[in-house]
Amino acid sequence: MHEPLVILDPTDERAVIGRQLAARPEQLTGTLGIVDIAKPRGDVFLDELERLIRERLPALQVLRLRKPTYTKPSPPDLRDEVSSRCQAVIQALAD
Amino acid sequence: MASAFTLSTGDNQVVAFGDGDAVPTLLVFFKHDCATCDLTLPLVERLHTALSAEGLRVVGISQDAVAHTSDVVARHHLSFTVALDGDLEVSADYGFDAVPALVLVGPDRAVVASFEGFTRPDLLTLTERAAAACGAAAPRLVHDGDGLPEHRPGCGSKVHDPDVARRLAVRRGAATLGARRVQVPIADDPFDFLSAQGLDDGLPVVPPTEARVLRMLDGTQRAASDVVAHVPPNLAPATVEKIAINAVMAGCRPEYLPVVIAATEAACTDQFNLHGVLATTYFVAPVIVVNGPIRRAIDLNCGANLFGQGFRANATIGRALQLVVRNIGGGKPGGVDMSTLGQPGKFTCCVGELEEASCWEPFHVERGFAADTSTVTVFAGEAPRAIRDQLSRTAPSLGASMGMCLQSMAHPKLAHVGEALLVVCPEHIRIFEQDGYTKADLRARIQEATARPLRELLPDADCQKGMTLRAVPNALLGPDGQPTAEGLETPLSKFQQDTDILVMVAGGTTGKFSAFLGGWANGAAGSMAVTREIRP
Repeated sequence: MHEPLVILDPTDERAVIGRQLAARPEQLTGTLGIVDIAKPRGDVFLDELERLIRERLPALQVLRLRKPTYTKPSPPDLRDEVSSRCQAVIQALAD
Repeated sequence: MASAFTLSTGDNQVVAFGDGDAVPTLLVFFKHDCATCDLTLPLVERLHTALSAEGLRVVGISQDAVAHTSDVVARHHLSFTVALDGDLEVSADYGFDAVPALVLVGPDRAVVASFEGFTRPDLLTLTERAAAACGAAAPRLVHDGDGLPEHRPGCGSKVHDPDVARRLAVRRGAATLGARRVQVPIADDPFDFLSAQGLDDGLPVVPPTEARVLRMLDGTQRAASDVVAHVPPNLAPATVEKIAINAVMAGCRPEYLPVVIAATEAACTDQFNLHGVLATTYFVAPVIVVNGPIRRAIDLNCGANLFGQGFRANATIGRALQLVVRNIGGGKPGGVDMSTLGQPGKFTCCVGELEEASCWEPFHVERGFAADTSTVTVFAGEAPRAIRDQLSRTAPSLGASMGMCLQSMAHPKLAHVGEALLVVCPEHIRIFEQDGYTKADLRARIQEATARPLRELLPDADCQKGMTLRAVPNALLGPDGQPTAEGLETPLSKFQQDTDILVMVAGGTTGKFSAFLGGWANGAAGSMAVTREIRP
């Protein structure tokens, strides 16, 4: 009869926190954040999007934000600004 | 002070020794196949008979299982209590080397007398002290002409049997390990089990048992609980123990562990930006370059087939870092690792510099370390690409060749795209040596050979790829943000600064084939090579 093999857990042993998507707004009100993640030509797409939004939803405030670099996670200040000032956010990947 | 213990007898009676035992106690450790034990035990029985009524407690401690122990008890008609120390924990605690071992313990568990093997004088002393502790006269266990030897060595305590010693070391050492224990179901193949749990990299991993992890930890002087770094993307703490577990899985030998620890430390810096290196859709993997004396100590390949198979240190150190990222940091393909094509170096990539073949100062010395310091450098690199030049016989020609190949890094129309790692082979280094070319000369020549007027680098109808205006130096742009006429004719070299070209020497002695590994995003906004000292 062999003894069962016991191994050591190589992981960080933390349960992964499942995150849910935020509820989608029925309509856009207040301030809309538009975040450029600083990939090349992302601004071209977002500029056009901003133009269309301002034209069609004039009551909406638009706040343009930009990550310092696409290679790293958003700095805490930027995340705070989005969560405290915006009711909705559009973030775009480009290349 | 004698250690307290709780054991049981062959018929499951508990035998406890510890605080509150006011009576003098004689502990007698023995095993069944020991002639000196056979000589001594009848004398102990006589001591027990003489002094038990006076208050002496005698406890035999057998190093054998029930059957052999019963034989001994029957053979010598032992009437005192005999406990079983099958796991040898108590024997190990008491720390003697031979049996029989006699330990006379007084109040407060103070050891009053003890000896191993058989010696007449020691037995006499112990008998006198036992009697004194009971306030009784000492019985005469030995006398002239009884045929007993003056001295007879004992037999080795079973604690020192190789298998037992290993098992005890594991049990004792394992108590210091904090990782969760996972029992592999008895019907499962351990390799399949680890794979099914998602803990491997696609190749089988070595099951990280307590014994293997403890042996791995022998490779470092650092405490198992030391936190080396926080590993992205989950920013989970990587203790020396967790790194050792993953090093076992990768197939490392203990002497490689300090390299894996230093590589983890280097990779988890803001400058290296492991999160980005992992998450990017680009090709890059952490490429590990080792310098200094440790290369020879661990037999790390710096020569032929540098990036190839067949060398355990190279193969497993790189793999261990990847497993650390996967298992501790939580970075896996299909999750945070979003690479479009990846590259084979994402399994493992670790090489050493062939410092001995170089006429230049070693890579790590250039980066600020002493030549006799061992270091690890991590570089976010693509797979190696060929620089084939068998014809150049002068340093400027060879430098130009290298520049022309480097021009294609990422894209020929992209300048200022970050660092590159240039690996100069031994046959090529001899050409630079012969012409007295320094590393600075080589870098300057590469910059010269790659210089192109800005107009050739901008997107155009022929090829829509090229430098974006955001990447063009401001000095070449007019007030309208567009390149000036003069700017369009200004040559731009491939690298923003000469030092973006990292230069090392390595490879086989035959073949005029150097290589370069392209980097990733530019400068501080992306990933930059990081060097750390390897400490024992």
